[in-house]
Amino acid sequence: MMPHEAQEPTVIETKGLTKRYGRLTAVDQLDLVVRQGAVFGFVGPNGAGKTTTMRILATLLRPTAGEAWVAGHSVVAERRDVRRAVGYMPDFFGVYGDMKVWEYLDFFAACYDVPTDTRRRLADDLLELVDLAHRREDYVDALSRGMKQRLCLARALAHDPHVLILDEPASGLDPRARVEIRELLRELRDMGKTIFVSSHILSEIQEVCTHIGIIEEGRLVAVGTMEDMRRRIHAQRVVNLGLIKQSAGEPASRRTVQEAQIWLAGRPRVSEVEPVAADGEGDLQLTFAGDDQALAQLLSDMVRAGFPVVTFRERTGDLEDVFMRLTKGVVS
Amino acid sequence: MFYPALLGAALGYSVVLALSDSPGIQLAALVTGAPAACLLTVCAGLLAFTLPWIAPALTAVSIVHERELGTLDLLRATLLTERSIVLGKLGGSLARMWPGILTLALLAPFQLVWIGGTGWSLYLPALAAEPISTTQILWLFLAGLAGLLKPFVDLVLHAAVGLFFSVLARSSGVAVAVSYGAVIVVRVSLWLVRYLLNVVLMMRGAIIGASESALGDVGMISALTSLGVVLVELVGAAALVWGGIWWLKRA
Repeated sequence: MMPHEAQEPTVIETKGLTKRYGRLTAVDQLDLVVRQGAVFGFVGPNGAGKTTTMRILATLLRPTAGEAWVAGHSVVAERRDVRRAVGYMPDFFGVYGDMKVWEYLDFFAACYDVPTDTRRRLADDLLELVDLAHRREDYVDALSRGMKQRLCLARALAHDPHVLILDEPASGLDPRARVEIRELLRELRDMGKTIFVSSHILSEIQEVCTHIGIIEEGRLVAVGTMEDMRRRIHAQRVVNLGLIKQSAGEPASRRTVQEAQIWLAGRPRVSEVEPVAADGEGDLQLTFAGDDQALAQLLSDMVRAGFPVVTFRERTGDLEDVFMRLTKGVVS
Repeated sequence: MFYPALLGAALGYSVVLALSDSPGIQLAALVTGAPAACLLTVCAGLLAFTLPWIAPALTAVSIVHERELGTLDLLRATLLTERSIVLGKLGGSLARMWPGILTLALLAPFQLVWIGGTGWSLYLPALAAEPISTTQILWLFLAGLAGLLKPFVDLVLHAAVGLFFSVLARSSGVAVAVSYGAVIVVRVSLWLVRYLLNVVLMMRGAIIGASESALGDVGMISALTSLGVVLVELVGAAALVWGGIWWLKRA
């Protein structure tokens, strides 16, 4: 946790939040805190409970158990206050095709009680922000997917909410449109909005997030700042190592890959020693919990033990690795 | 073009009738079914029958279409309440039928010959022969009022049925099909109730004969039956709308 963070007020909080559909538990005892100004990346495989959580926070679903507060208001008892504070963007476009771009924004601004005389200017400002001012008079149906998504983001901003709940904003977009959405998120972060954004692809949002929460089967399996997550990567380093292969006819003097696997498995701080190739030959991959010095010690011990090590390389992991390691992929 | 043409014809006829000489002639035309009024009566009757059957087609798709577009969640996430969404959809669908409703409102008085359904109009000739008491006039007035309100109440009930299934259904096709099915069931049930009451009414009329008391009795039962059906329909419509709001809220 960053030192300045504790002072920031809580904007989103859930306590024991649970949602069941019959026998299926979509969200299970979720405890979550998102502080003001944070960009919280809510990551998990498809069906992990991200959308259900977001729909509860946007007051579209009632939790089966537990409580949630957004901007200090209960999502069950003070739905109207929550709606006033939240800009919600679902994981689908949700557009009226027979409306012009500005009419679409005007309509939703009216639904948020934005006074008539300010709506016209507001629509122009929002279209400017999402770079759609030149498409103002076009019909929504005529927009590309990326443009529709930007328009939806503009709609979510129509009542100037200080919390944004964005469900998979980059999903289904081409690379350029994804970059544009990322840029917009960055801009909104700089404007001081608290953003709760979900994705099933971590790399899509990790650049803009200040915090990450990983959810699977309705449970939060990891949560923390980006720094926390990066530290986890370094705490669990993945190393690939290769031995000289024994060729046919050569005296069996050298120690084999299988021997190395057994030897490594017995070393402290080493776990998950597995051959990279399916046939059990070739390089090995291991997980090492230790600093650079300990890693260098492991290499020298291996060489001293007579293993013909030719490659010894740490995999440069990103957050995707943490995600893959923490989630079992059972629901995707 | 259907509604504007009908509206134009109705307005034209109204003007012609308004400009014709004697109000007495118009009244006679109403009671006896003289050609001019007769045509308008047929128009009014057809409209009174067809308008309520158009309503479910509009209301049944209203909310489910929003769901299909993915805009229902967006609307629910705004400051609009579930009640305002449902009532807005009902009002919007009825507003789309405004030319028909206006035409019916203009033509409705010409339905007077059908006041109270099939029952007491058979006794109209007795009106001329017998002196009428104030109570009888009141009952006849109430029966007439119920008859005038009936098409509009039918319209609201059918619209409410469509709206209710629009909240429940997941696709427009299902919503429309189920709504029309439900409207047919409701209509048949109401018709059966009314038919049984009419049988009772006719039997009593036949036993007593076309006397002064029979006219009063028939007028009263007819009025009570018609008002009762109108009331039941209104309560049913309100319950369906409330049910739709409740269903949307509980999601």
